[in-house]
Amino acid sequence: MNLEAFERFAVSYEPGEIIFCEYEPGDAFYLIQGGRVQISRIMGDIEKTLDVLQQGEIFGEMAILEEAPRSATASAIERVKCLEFNRANFEILMRGQPAIALRLLKLFTKRIYDQRRRFMILTLDDVQARVADVFLMLNEMQVNPAEEEMDERVFQTTQDDVAHWAGLSSEETRHVLNHFVSQRRLEVQKDQIIVKNINEFIRFVSSRRKQ
Amino acid sequence: MPRPMSFKANSVIYFRGDVSDKIYILKSGRISLNSNDIETGQEIHDYIQTGEFFGVKSAMGKYPREEDAVVLSTTTVIQFSVPEFEALVSQNTTLIMKMLKVFSNQLRRIHVKVSSLLAEEEHVDPEAGLFNIGQYYLGKKRYVQALHAFRRYLTYYPSGTFNQKANEFALKAEQFAQQYGAGKGPSIQGLDSSVGGTAAKPDTGRQMSDAAKQYYAAVSVFSQQKYAEALRSFKKIAEESADEEFRIKSLFEIGRCFFNLEQYDNCIKHFKSLIQRYPKLPELADALFHVGQSYNEKGDQEKAESFFQKILSMPGTSETVLRKVRRAMKAAS
Repeated sequence: MNLEAFERFAVSYEPGEIIFCEYEPGDAFYLIQGGRVQISRIMGDIEKTLDVLQQGEIFGEMAILEEAPRSATASAIERVKCLEFNRANFEILMRGQPAIALRLLKLFTKRIYDQRRRFMILTLDDVQARVADVFLMLNEMQVNPAEEEMDERVFQTTQDDVAHWAGLSSEETRHVLNHFVSQRRLEVQKDQIIVKNINEFIRFVSSRRKQ
Repeated sequence: MPRPMSFKANSVIYFRGDVSDKIYILKSGRISLNSNDIETGQEIHDYIQTGEFFGVKSAMGKYPREEDAVVLSTTTVIQFSVPEFEALVSQNTTLIMKMLKVFSNQLRRIHVKVSSLLAEEEHVDPEAGLFNIGQYYLGKKRYVQALHAFRRYLTYYPSGTFNQKANEFALKAEQFAQQYGAGKGPSIQGLDSSVGGTAAKPDTGRQMSDAAKQYYAAVSVFSQQKYAEALRSFKKIAEESADEEFRIKSLFEIGRCFFNLEQYDNCIKHFKSLIQRYPKLPELADALFHVGQSYNEKGDQEKAESFFQKILSMPGTSETVLRKVRRAMKAAS
């Protein structure tokens, strides 16, 4: 992709430098041209990495919609070069580079889907169903044809991640997970959780969902 | 190739749950997209306008269809594969812009819904949130990051609730970054990671001492360039405080106040006696720099030069001070 015409929008960051901070009002989004960018959130006393993005990827795109506070912190892992766009020069970019516009369009479809899926989890009243539905969501995200025929699924996830997606406290989540473990429906290991029978979870969740 | 397709009333172009890479545009006839509201489960009917695309999101994202596309009367549609659709819209940026607006609207709506369900646990006022980010990094001794957060805070909330603390902490972060570097340096007093938020944690031993409070209040006054007022405050701490750390810190700041008040003789005298009393002063190089600069201001370049040379020859001087010295020497020559 030829982006030379956009050189005037280029910005650089040193390793460790913050590009934008969680809660900061946002008015720009970025296209990475070089170097990796870490997306993180501070939860309690730990900084949790949500994503690592690289060349060609877009971040901060929610700012196109409104100047809502940033929902995460973006910082440079190594020396990073980005193109920075705000709403004023956004249209110039889109007209000059429809490929970027298309990429944005795809990004939005993904975000909408993810948010809808998350919302589906949160509408479940039964906390056990909520936790089970988190695993169904993770299962949908990691399609692996080799696993398709089997009941067991391994997820590289932690109790805290599950709590985050389920919108439950760590204690509540641990309680539910322990309950599943005692029923031998689940195995909790250090950094992975094994669901013994994903199809049984699918049936369980759909039985708890309001029709 | 995009191809036209015709359907009779009551046929279904696709069902919810289907996974497909096909996108359609309605050429003539009537189509209803039937889905259930994800919140209430209520049935929703969206009627497609002639010339409107449908099936875009699920095809582009490779997600299961979220609705049934039901034909209401004899209908013609044109079917595209995703690459064909992309090629088409690439020629028409106005169309992409329109779609981006529609998608962003949907995204905003669903975002609001999710946030409302999470409201109790995740609601943090953005002002307090931003300030807390700064405090988090400062606590972790990641000074550059902390400085960034506090500076942004001060930019967006110039008269905010945590303005004074943000000023103090920004100054601290800047100072510690130069003096100690990332990950090093003493822990910082007065951090309270739970202001305005919900992450309330038991807070023990984090209370700021009176000396610290007075000192940082004075630092804040200094940063507002009210040097005479700052000088009075620092003098008071230096004379009365029982806390040696803040007494010495204040003594150093008194010299800086003299310099900024253009009282160069006082500045020289003050720093010289301070260095005699505390030869291992942490800010020794910076103190010598102020002496040199004071001579410079007085027009005694020879003396200034000798102080600058001394700083350059001292081991372990921070890069920031060295830079300041070099700049001053360059300006003088």
